[in-house]
Amino acid sequence: MSPSSPPPLLSMKGVTKRFFNVVALSGVDFDVRPGEVHAICGENGAGKSTLMKILSGVYTPDEGTLSWRGEPLQAATPQAAQARGIVMIHQELNLVPHLTVAENIWLGREPRRGWFVDRAAQRAGARACLARLGVAIAPDDLVSTLPVAQQQMVEIAKALSMNAELLIMDEPTSSLTDAETAALFKVIHELKRAGVGIVYISHRLDELAGIVDRVTVLRDGRYIVTKALAQTSIEEIVSLMVGRALDDKFPPPTRVPTGQTLLEVRGLRRRDGIGPVDFTLRRGEILGFAGLIGAGRTELARAVFGADPVAAGTITLAGRALAIRSPIDAIREGIAYVSEDRKAHGLAVKMTVAQNITLANLGAVSTGQGFIRFDRELAAARRYIEQLGIRTPSPDQVARLLSGGNQQKVVIAKWLFREARVIFFDEPTRGIDVGAKYAIYELMDRLAAQGIGIVLISSELPEILGLTDRVAVFHEGRVTRVLDTRATSQEEIMHYASVRGDTAAASNLASLDT
Amino acid sequence: MNERQKDLVQKFAALAGLLVLVIVFSVTSSAFFTLGNAMTVALQVTSIVYLGIGATYVILTGGIDLSVGSILALAGVVAALAVKAGMPVAPAMGCGILVGALCGAINGLCVTRLRLPPFIATLGMMLVARGVALQITGARAVSGLGDAFGALGNGSLWRVVKLDARGFPDVVFPGIPYPVILMVVLAVLASILLTRTTLGRHIHAVGSNAEAARLSGVNVGRVVLFAYVVSGALAGLTGCVLMSRLVTAQPNEGVMYELDAIASAVIGGTSLIGGVGTISGTAIGSFVIGILRNGLNMNGVSAFTQQIIIGLVILVTVWVDQLRNRQR
Repeated sequence: MSPSSPPPLLSMKGVTKRFFNVVALSGVDFDVRPGEVHAICGENGAGKSTLMKILSGVYTPDEGTLSWRGEPLQAATPQAAQARGIVMIHQELNLVPHLTVAENIWLGREPRRGWFVDRAAQRAGARACLARLGVAIAPDDLVSTLPVAQQQMVEIAKALSMNAELLIMDEPTSSLTDAETAALFKVIHELKRAGVGIVYISHRLDELAGIVDRVTVLRDGRYIVTKALAQTSIEEIVSLMVGRALDDKFPPPTRVPTGQTLLEVRGLRRRDGIGPVDFTLRRGEILGFAGLIGAGRTELARAVFGADPVAAGTITLAGRALAIRSPIDAIREGIAYVSEDRKAHGLAVKMTVAQNITLANLGAVSTGQGFIRFDRELAAARRYIEQLGIRTPSPDQVARLLSGGNQQKVVIAKWLFREARVIFFDEPTRGIDVGAKYAIYELMDRLAAQGIGIVLISSELPEILGLTDRVAVFHEGRVTRVLDTRATSQEEIMHYASVRGDTAAASNLASLDT
Repeated sequence: MNERQKDLVQKFAALAGLLVLVIVFSVTSSAFFTLGNAMTVALQVTSIVYLGIGATYVILTGGIDLSVGSILALAGVVAALAVKAGMPVAPAMGCGILVGALCGAINGLCVTRLRLPPFIATLGMMLVARGVALQITGARAVSGLGDAFGALGNGSLWRVVKLDARGFPDVVFPGIPYPVILMVVLAVLASILLTRTTLGRHIHAVGSNAEAARLSGVNVGRVVLFAYVVSGALAGLTGCVLMSRLVTAQPNEGVMYELDAIASAVIGGTSLIGGVGTISGTAIGSFVIGILRNGLNMNGVSAFTQQIIIGLVILVTVWVDQLRNRQR
């Protein structure tokens, strides 16, 4: 580009990587300059993670060259990469829960005094890194006692402590609140000024504008283009990623919400102090649960579903009072919950797609004696694979090998096969690429149009605004307001998410995000 | 290649390993590849298979059962004492199996209700059951049980004996021992339950992801309890068969048998994390152990060397399995 630009920290030319016969990356040119944030965009399966693993020395490319500050790089190893100052922050956290924050930050590189760990230096170093991030985490806290968002900050602090020259961040904001994201961006700006190069991967494209200098787009393992952010737009990036123009982020609604009350929850309280919460869900509508992380949205949904114990309150479905003591009771009544963390709570990853789809309703594909009719199971699985457009080579594929969006569809298929009347979707599009997101939005609308009541828990306000009919706003375990989606705005939702109710004064967001 | 084909390849690899063992031992020892020895091996393997089936069920749910060796001693001793007290053999052995199932149920409740780690719960049962078996017998063997008590362990089906010219009996066909028949029937039933029924599917689901299974409406506690009851009942049965074979009830019988059971499951491809494993694999694993012991014996390899070899076989098979899993 411009002749005045500094030489790149790391650059790759024509890099190709194959696994057996599958080409994961082909002919990729990529470079990062000091003090630059370079985003890699692409759908799941586009080759982002392969590229990251080549950058961080996990994989060696089959073709092409890598160089570090102009010097050609030979077969790289993760250790060699780290010694050069290439540090990767994984999306899935790599912390030891039983150790303290300071111990985690210095794990494997403990400052020593003689034969012993220099605890004071360890603590001081940790405190300095955390202060640079501007987060209120004590170095002596056990990591297991911290919420996920703060654990993420510890992970970033750890990278800071390694004096990284090239930082690779994989979806760093996926579990952060807006305030924490803002704090992270401040740190990124500071790192840029210090000449650190940053490779940034995120599905939240709207974030890019604040921090990114250049964008490289990958699609199906192929290198598409590298552009300066100033010379492109989010719309253009998305269409390059998908290979077609996406006119709208959200599908036009086909559903017509009715006035009929389907699910009514009154005075529901959990033992951990969340609640009391009242809300009603109407037949055929999508009700949003908005609020900050930790406001109790997931907890409330789990309580209605029977996954966690309830202390008090009533749940009425289609006029009938329910006694829900376990998910078995909820499922029998037709209430379903699509969990936030698919791999931990939603999917039996070692089982096949077909087995996952029928898991909640095995009786429907079995004889009276409990023998599974494999022909019926396969037919049911095929039906939903086609209906939801699940991309899998066969119904017998192990669920673990599917992409995130397709795994999510398998979980949804499970509940459709169970003929659920109410479905809670908890962050259904987290970690899912743009094309698959749209498909899931469409699906939710279609389900609502069939008369299913849908609750959408989402931390992405555009998603709430683009998809729901009404929004219940949560703050500190209670619903502060139920708003009509068409008549509200991001600002109004954020207001009610940040204050106790109408009367409470608007207070500082940052102080409430813990 | 899809997963099912991969599983088949894996199974054929194990089976091929078994065949190689058979061929090697047939070459090195003339007495190995005979009908009589085949029956001996089959008989020796039966107890490993019974216990291995139970171990497979428990390990599939993500647990472990260390108590089966002790439970089998307690069950056999209870059956023998019942016979001594005047009970007919069949109901007495039924009592033995019931005692095994009860011990299994206690294991299961400790795991599901008290939320003890399976290792600890069954370690406790291992000590308790052994202690009770020694206590109620005064640590002495119970003998003088009569011929009927030995029928299950020593009898066989289709035994053909001819008297030769001088009136001495000549065994034309040794028959198929009852324990071997029982082994085949149990393995087939256990395999059908695991692969073809909703309960079997739930066992896999619990082992694959217990939380996902719970949130899908699977009664996780009941499924886990069932696995431990199966393991306990099969240990009880093993006890009855073993004591019947000796026509004596030994409270010291079955020490370390739980390790053979776990080893057979693991050699057969059962994952200790849960969710993956088959009865056919466990049966193959049992025969690998049984044939190794038998063949090494015939070649005059000392018992100590045998232990070393079997230990190495376990390490290598599990390592190969890990490699295979890492590749995908």
